[in-house]
Amino acid sequence: MASDAPAPGATGRPRLAVYKLASCDGCQLTLLDCEDELLHIADRVHVAHFTEMTSLSDTSEPFDVTLVEGSVTTAEQREHVRHIRASTKLLVTIGACATAGGVQALRNWRDASEMLRVVYARPEYIDALATSTPISDHVKVDFELRGCPIDKRQLLELLTALLTGRKPAIRDESVCMECKRAGNVCVMVARDEPCLGPITHAGCGALCPSYDRGCYGCFGPHEAANARALGTWLREAGAPAAEVKRRLRLFTGWSPAFREESERHDEG
Amino acid sequence: MRFLPRAALASLFDALRASGRRVVGPTRRDHAIVHDELESAEDLPIGWTDEQAPGRYRLRRRDDERAFGFVVGPHSWKRELFPPREPLYHATRRPDGKVGFSPIIPEPAPSALLGVRACDLAATQVQGRTFESAEFVEPRYAARRAASLVVAVNCTEPGALCFCASTGTGPRVGAGADLVLTERDDGFLVEAGSDEGAAILDALPTAPASDADVTWVDEAMAAATSAMGRQLDVEGLPGLLFGNLDHPRWAEVAARCLACGNCTNVCPTCFCSTTETPSDLDGQDATQVRLWDSCFTVEHGAMHGASVRPTTRDRYRQWLTHKLGAWVPQFGVSGCVGCGRCVAWCPVGIDLTEEVAAIREGAAAPVALPEPASRQPGVPDDLTPRVARVVDVVRETSDVVTLRLRLDGRVAHRPGQFHQLALPAIGEAPISVSGRADGRDLDDHLDHHFVDHTIRAVGGVTRALCALSPGDELGLRGPYGRPWPLDALRGRPVVVIAGGIGLAPLRETLRELLASPADYPDVRLFYGARTPDDALYLDELRAGTRPGFTLRVTVDHAPPTWRGEIGVVTRLLRGDAVPEGAACLMCGPEVMMRFSIEALRAAGIPDERIWITMERHMKCAAGFCGRCQYGPYFVCKDGPVFRLDEVALLFGRDGF
Repeated sequence: MASDAPAPGATGRPRLAVYKLASCDGCQLTLLDCEDELLHIADRVHVAHFTEMTSLSDTSEPFDVTLVEGSVTTAEQREHVRHIRASTKLLVTIGACATAGGVQALRNWRDASEMLRVVYARPEYIDALATSTPISDHVKVDFELRGCPIDKRQLLELLTALLTGRKPAIRDESVCMECKRAGNVCVMVARDEPCLGPITHAGCGALCPSYDRGCYGCFGPHEAANARALGTWLREAGAPAAEVKRRLRLFTGWSPAFREESERHDEG
Repeated sequence: MRFLPRAALASLFDALRASGRRVVGPTRRDHAIVHDELESAEDLPIGWTDEQAPGRYRLRRRDDERAFGFVVGPHSWKRELFPPREPLYHATRRPDGKVGFSPIIPEPAPSALLGVRACDLAATQVQGRTFESAEFVEPRYAARRAASLVVAVNCTEPGALCFCASTGTGPRVGAGADLVLTERDDGFLVEAGSDEGAAILDALPTAPASDADVTWVDEAMAAATSAMGRQLDVEGLPGLLFGNLDHPRWAEVAARCLACGNCTNVCPTCFCSTTETPSDLDGQDATQVRLWDSCFTVEHGAMHGASVRPTTRDRYRQWLTHKLGAWVPQFGVSGCVGCGRCVAWCPVGIDLTEEVAAIREGAAAPVALPEPASRQPGVPDDLTPRVARVVDVVRETSDVVTLRLRLDGRVAHRPGQFHQLALPAIGEAPISVSGRADGRDLDDHLDHHFVDHTIRAVGGVTRALCALSPGDELGLRGPYGRPWPLDALRGRPVVVIAGGIGLAPLRETLRELLASPADYPDVRLFYGARTPDDALYLDELRAGTRPGFTLRVTVDHAPPTWRGEIGVVTRLLRGDAVPEGAACLMCGPEVMMRFSIEALRAAGIPDERIWITMERHMKCAAGFCGRCQYGPYFVCKDGPVFRLDEVALLFGRDGF
């Protein structure tokens, strides 16, 4: 990744763009949530396109870095994301929708056309694909920031790493690693609270377990996630199949590791 | 031994505080007994116990008022001595290329660790061997340990997952505690284990213990020994585990293992760590931070963008063979103290004792592991770079440069050793020294020492290093590692085999060999590179021709103008290329070394006369971080140069 990183200072500020596909805007707003750092970022980066921040749009030249949130749910978005890929050196997808298909990927297990008929008075006005899929299903992605929403510290680390030329310290490890470093007591072991932390990618700072709740996997699986082992354990501990399936099928349910295991507990 | 009535327990807190210490001990929080700072005896989990099973921990009321009526919880004392996240040094880098590094060394307040169990005291001593008793001493760890007074507690009621009797680390507290309490219904029998402990004991309202009291303690310890909830047969375990690296149980446990790292985090002896370099957006001010890592993470096995332990089977096997096996040659002691935490806090209840028993079933024959190295007293290493300055940059190939660095201190390395080179906000990378020079710096007309580092731009740090210009500064620490064994080569034909950038760590050695024809009359260098343009130092080597020096270079791909050899380096080893009685030095990609070793063995060269450099990711370089482990060795301090027979057990095997 660093090989393609913009060289700060060499040709002026790196050009940043932010786009969205099917999503709630929450992830791109994380950039605006960097309140203390925002002005510094604006100093160091030329925000060339970011409709949540400015109506000015400078698409005259390729971007150095583009952040994209949202999943691909329409044919138009499928084309759009190809265009985005072609217009940027680095493509960073941000959030559960962009990296795993999002909560809207729940429709991937259903008949989408039937849902359109149920929900919309004039379904013929709706032109949607049958599935919601992550951007990496369609174009090459250089880096992913996980989470629903993404974590502000991780976004800052990514931007800082790009600017300084280092590898981002975004660790592909379990939530348990962060949870244990924080000194939390395991909610699963100490009180049987189902928790996806052991199979979920870190980055949130073990937010839910720190507030005595089980992780619901919004960062999606880590690279060695053994969802089958966790699903088996939860079932043996008495969790009904529907409960295990529901846990796995939330914001990142369409990620291969969670999908496959949730389907093992799908009793219809 | 003295007797402290239960009602007088508060006096222990008073005495500890009177000595200026903060008291850290067990307290009830979040459905568990954890460690925290305690204000008074009332913060202790009085009247509570824990019930433990694989993957399960529950608190339960006791029907008495015992203050230590439980075993061990999710926290171990390593949180106090080896914090999960700790800054190592500040680093600055100014736009003019000047850098600065300043170590961050804590000055810990005196503390009393209250309620330390036998297993946990043993664990602290085990971990102390990593940070205090090896080649290097970690000053942050040492400062905290020196500031800690240990008030230990004998276990009279072992838990369902305890097996300290098997590991020989309990239930009776061994040497090293300042005070030892044994609790019974009416109070505590107290023994002092140090002068400071004795002084505190003197301040407590105790009565002399009777002979019956002493006997009661002995009997309680004997009863506890036979009441362990688990057992682990430790007999010959290191050799057994390394003799069974292909046992089917590894795959079975991997099917259940979540690779989450909980076991290593709760383990009181696990010490692996990684670093991050958070900085401001400009990269001008950075802090090098150390944080707990685990052999179950992908990063722990990462090297050159791939993983040496890609599967969970590899990682579980690494953990167990290290914990119960490799620890012994590394530190002279097992890494397991029988506390049972890894069993309780595994979210899916994987039981180490059960896994070991399963591996013993149908086990293949054990193998011999190296004897623990005899360690000299270590030298302090605060892991903070000193400033070095780039005085020259030589572009060797399209992606390789040699930096000549000026050091203010004397040049202390020997050929084959390496330095950690550091850039603020970017990170550190281990780079072999590829040359040295003494001379006069034109800037200040003073005599200085210069060291060369030949670097290939492959990752973030090396790319930034390769982009440096004369006048820029960077950080440097070391030298580290074991050098090439020049003395062992004397009088023998020396065969040097190198691939690609692997020639860099051999360059100084080659210079020495060629400069001493009386000692090294026959020197043969067989060097392989991708293309002629990727071959290093060719001009220097060709200029260095002398009687008795053979230079043969082969490349994978070449333009028609290339007059040298084409093909893998082993092609050069055919026929009489390797003379009888030769000794061999080798550095290059592992696969190149594997095939070259086959050729050398076929030529009759015994493993004892072949030295290779092993590559694993050396992060701290001082044996603290565990990243570069290779079975019984740390590549950073036991290597990177190994005699082949030392590593023959694992060389060429996947997953280590």
